[in-house]
Amino acid sequence: MKSISLYVANNSYLTKLHPFTKLLYIAAAVSIPLLSGRLWMFCTWIGVSLIILTSGKLLRKTFPLIAFSFTILLTIFLIHGLFHTGNTTVIFSIGPLHFYKEGVLYSAKIGLNILNMLLSFAVFILSTKPSEFVEELEKKGFSPRFGYIINSVFQIIPQMIGTMHTIADAQRSRGTETEGSLFTRAKALIPLISPVIAGSLINTRERAIALEVRGFGSGIKRTYLTDHPKSKVDILCRLILYAAILIAVCWRITLCLI
Amino acid sequence: MSYITAVNLKYRYPHTDRLALNGLTFSIEKGEFIGIIGRNGAGKSTLCSALIGLVPQFYKGAYGGKLLLEDTDLSITPTARLCSRIGLVFQNPFNQLSGAKDTVYEEISFGLQNLGIPRDEIHRRVEETMKLLDISEFRDRNPFDLSGGQMQRVALAGVLVMQPEVLLLDEPTSQLDPQGSEEVFHAVDKLTESGITIIMVEQKMEKLADYCDRILLLDDGKIVDFDTPQKIFSRPDLKEHGICPPVITKLFEDWQIQMENGLYPVTLKEALSLKKQIPSDFQKSIYQNQSHLPYSEYTVSFRIEDLFFYYQKGTPVIENLSLTLDTRPTAIIGQNGAGKTTLVKLLKGLLKPVSGSIYYKKEDISGKTVAMIAGQIGYVFQNPDDQIFKYTVLDEVMYGPLNIGMNKEAAKAHALAAIRLVQLDGKEQKNPYDLELSDRKMVSIASILAMDTDVIILDEPTIAQDFEGRNIIRSIIETLVSQGKSVLSILHDMNFVADCFSRVIIMVHGKVLADGTPEEVFEKTKLLKQAKLEAPQKIQLCRLLE
Amino acid sequence: MKNLFKTKFNTACIVLIPTCIGINYLGKLIASTLKLPLWLDCIGTCIGAILGGPLIGAICGAANNLIYGFTTGDNITLIYALTSLGIGLAVGIMARLSFMKKTSGALLTAVVGGLTAVVISTPLNILFWGGTTGNIWGDALFATTQASGFPVWLGSFLDELVVDVPDKVLTLLIVFAIVKFLPNKLVSLYTSDDTIEKLD
Ligand SMILES: Nc1ncnc2c1ncn2[C@@H]1O[C@H](COP(=O)(O)OP(=O)(O)OP(=O)(O)O)[C@@H](O)[C@H]1O
Ligand SMILES: Nc1ncnc2c1ncn2[C@@H]1O[C@H](COP(=O)(O)OP(=O)(O)OP(=O)(O)O)[C@@H](O)[C@H]1O
Ligand SMILES: [Mg+2]
Ligand SMILES: [Mg+2]
Repeated sequence: MKSISLYVANNSYLTKLHPFTKLLYIAAAVSIPLLSGRLWMFCTWIGVSLIILTSGKLLRKTFPLIAFSFTILLTIFLIHGLFHTGNTTVIFSIGPLHFYKEGVLYSAKIGLNILNMLLSFAVFILSTKPSEFVEELEKKGFSPRFGYIINSVFQIIPQMIGTMHTIADAQRSRGTETEGSLFTRAKALIPLISPVIAGSLINTRERAIALEVRGFGSGIKRTYLTDHPKSKVDILCRLILYAAILIAVCWRITLCLI
Repeated sequence: MSYITAVNLKYRYPHTDRLALNGLTFSIEKGEFIGIIGRNGAGKSTLCSALIGLVPQFYKGAYGGKLLLEDTDLSITPTARLCSRIGLVFQNPFNQLSGAKDTVYEEISFGLQNLGIPRDEIHRRVEETMKLLDISEFRDRNPFDLSGGQMQRVALAGVLVMQPEVLLLDEPTSQLDPQGSEEVFHAVDKLTESGITIIMVEQKMEKLADYCDRILLLDDGKIVDFDTPQKIFSRPDLKEHGICPPVITKLFEDWQIQMENGLYPVTLKEALSLKKQIPSDFQKSIYQNQSHLPYSEYTVSFRIEDLFFYYQKGTPVIENLSLTLDTRPTAIIGQNGAGKTTLVKLLKGLLKPVSGSIYYKKEDISGKTVAMIAGQIGYVFQNPDDQIFKYTVLDEVMYGPLNIGMNKEAAKAHALAAIRLVQLDGKEQKNPYDLELSDRKMVSIASILAMDTDVIILDEPTIAQDFEGRNIIRSIIETLVSQGKSVLSILHDMNFVADCFSRVIIMVHGKVLADGTPEEVFEKTKLLKQAKLEAPQKIQLCRLLE
Repeated sequence: MKNLFKTKFNTACIVLIPTCIGINYLGKLIASTLKLPLWLDCIGTCIGAILGGPLIGAICGAANNLIYGFTTGDNITLIYALTSLGIGLAVGIMARLSFMKKTSGALLTAVVGGLTAVVISTPLNILFWGGTTGNIWGDALFATTQASGFPVWLGSFLDELVVDVPDKVLTLLIVFAIVKFLPNKLVSLYTSDDTIEKLD
């Protein structure tokens, strides 16, 4: 079964950092540029994220994520560059299309914000095993029921895709053609959806029983199989990040006061 | 007071009007090994659910009477709390994983973590249990990628590891190879010595006779009898309650050889103690009674050449397998994970060989899509839920015939005939998912029969079937054979194999270890051991008598 | 209408949530494989809402976006957790008011769900992306409105509307077909009341 998680188990220093440290990184990377409101701050944090990703040998895995949001970045750029309501000064034209300075600046801000968020999330997502993250959350008092929901999503999706293949196998065994042109495959997909969904819902009943008889929801404090103590590096990183956020907040407040 | 007491226990599922449990009164002592038997729908699983509080707390419905474990009222104590004292392994192994753990190791430790057992203790117990059930080598595998039998072992381990005082086992060995199920029986029997009470639902009467202290016979939600295996299996009215006694008991009943207490023997040991009374032509008649037909004329259906297959590179599942299959009814047997299901999926074209080739009637099937050969080769999946996708039984069974080009009337006629053959008439308009596992298995068989294919492949057809169900399957196989079709079946029930098939193939680790008539194959004691199999009880008896 | 929000938080409902989130994923996967101009990413949320009630629906919706946002790198979905929550809630309430019994009711539910989505998404779109949605058809409409000088909020509202309402209509029709055929044994697990009848 192929996992849907993007976690890369490459044993780099990033994977060893505590998940909460990386979460704090996201908080800092997203909030500080927004608080400062300066375009160069966005660029700086994007640079920092790229350096971290490169040092954690994750840069190659980042590109598909960027490519994924590329279309939305492009539409924003086009629509606002061309039609933004405050548009007055033309900076360049391609044929009959005139791009305006205000719109381009506006879309650059949105675009850089998206890119910045994306990369800082990538630091977390690519280097953190979901089940480990959930376990750390639970240790901090997060409800095990919600913990189960998250872990289970990671199991259920590959399982449902597996079921989809098995049911497709069963339908093929009984004469449905699923191989061939795109049209043939698309046509075969539709009778597949409803049994896969119905089947997975029906499984919930037995799954609920399976959990009950294994003490899920017994109210006893759970045991965890592993520890993930904070390291010195974790503490140092967190101090720096807290300080950076604090400085940004102070700066913002002084700006408002003046 | 007894350890477990039931007084006039009654239960009815919501939206039904029949009592699934109807006035049960019994008591069980600590450390007993209790068997529960009865036909499909007798209420065995319902009783298990009641013993762990799922009935009525999870299922709701209507409940009456009393059910106590010492002083604990089982009808109001939450299951999640009861589970530290009572463990339940349920019938369908494909559906009892937690679904939140991605390795076998974590899956097994799930229950212990929930109960807050100290970490070192968890590691110790999980290691121990994995060793006991022979699954240590799968510790890092994803539980959903295992074979049927391997999955059942994991499910069993997940409950055994919690070390409850009472173990409820609902057909825990249905998919295990014969030695595997022997090991499970042996292991839980050893637990009774330390005061653990075992309550086991089983269709394997031979095994129950060997191990149980007492057997509870249920029919239609009522207790028919609750007594020692000898007394239960010597009852003259067993057939009326849908039970077939162990092979040995039946033989001795036929010959009217009784023990001193007027009962029939139920185990090999008891049978041997009567050696002196056994007439000389006893063995000969057993061999002659082998019902399968001698085949002198048959045609080759499949030819497999140098077949090689793996799911993950580096762990081959089928290796250099060459084999011809023919129109004789053929059984494939072998240990869990031997690659049986994988082999038949390759035959059906659902998996593609990594190398080597498969010819069906001289045609290479690798060039054809599964749908193209659907009209010739029918395959019934090991897990019926994998192949059910329509909302009424009739639609489900008609799906195949319609797809392979029959018109509506013909498809319906074929479907109705198939439904009659598996004796599900009257349930055509039901939602297959509202049926019990045994009936769903029958639906999946009917849906293949209706397609009227030349080859029928059955993957463990006897799962969850009672005596009558097995008889139905036996008669289906006989019908198919008399129509000149090739029947190929994977089975773990050796008695059934010996009775119904003329050719037996033993597989281990993706290779063929033996191939011949049942007599020839079951002679080879050493090979059987290597393939984790056992000879059918009749043959074991004969060998012991020699 | 005290029963409107009554919710059981038993194991059965806990297990329902990840399944519904998985179903959402599958719907989205299929829509993108078939290159449909729709999302189909809340089939599961709606089923959760119908079986478990509005609160379970809301949790399914919110958890769906949070989990995907935090794990699959699709952090654009993160902010739409609010929208999904609203859809779950709205569909759940409609179902509790017995609208999901007939096709016409399902269509009405779809419209209500679609409008809820539009009302919540529009401000988010404007706040975060200056009004676009990321759907080609909707955004083309947005571009036209902007070019002809409509206010941003109106353009963005129309942008959402043309995408969300048809999407929810198709979604709820699929949901309706599936829920109608679910076996009784399953449905009664969620819908039957908690009382256990006495047989003594
Ligand atoms: N969830 C349910 N809702 C309604 N009826 C049910 C449910 N489960 C079982 N039944 C019915 O209760 C009766 C007893 O079923 P039960 O599963 O206990 O039988 P069983 O002896 O375990 O049979 P099998 O050998 O097939 O496992 C059957 O008639 C069955 O159809
Ligand atoms: N989808 C899969 N991915 C990876 N490995 C698999 C997969 N399915 C089966 N296997 C492995 O391949 C081997 C053969 O499996 P197969 O299902 O053919 O066994 P089997 O002989 O049918 O066993 P059983 O009697 O337990 O059903 C097993 O070791 C199993 O773990
Ligand atoms: Mg049962
Ligand atoms: Mg198998």
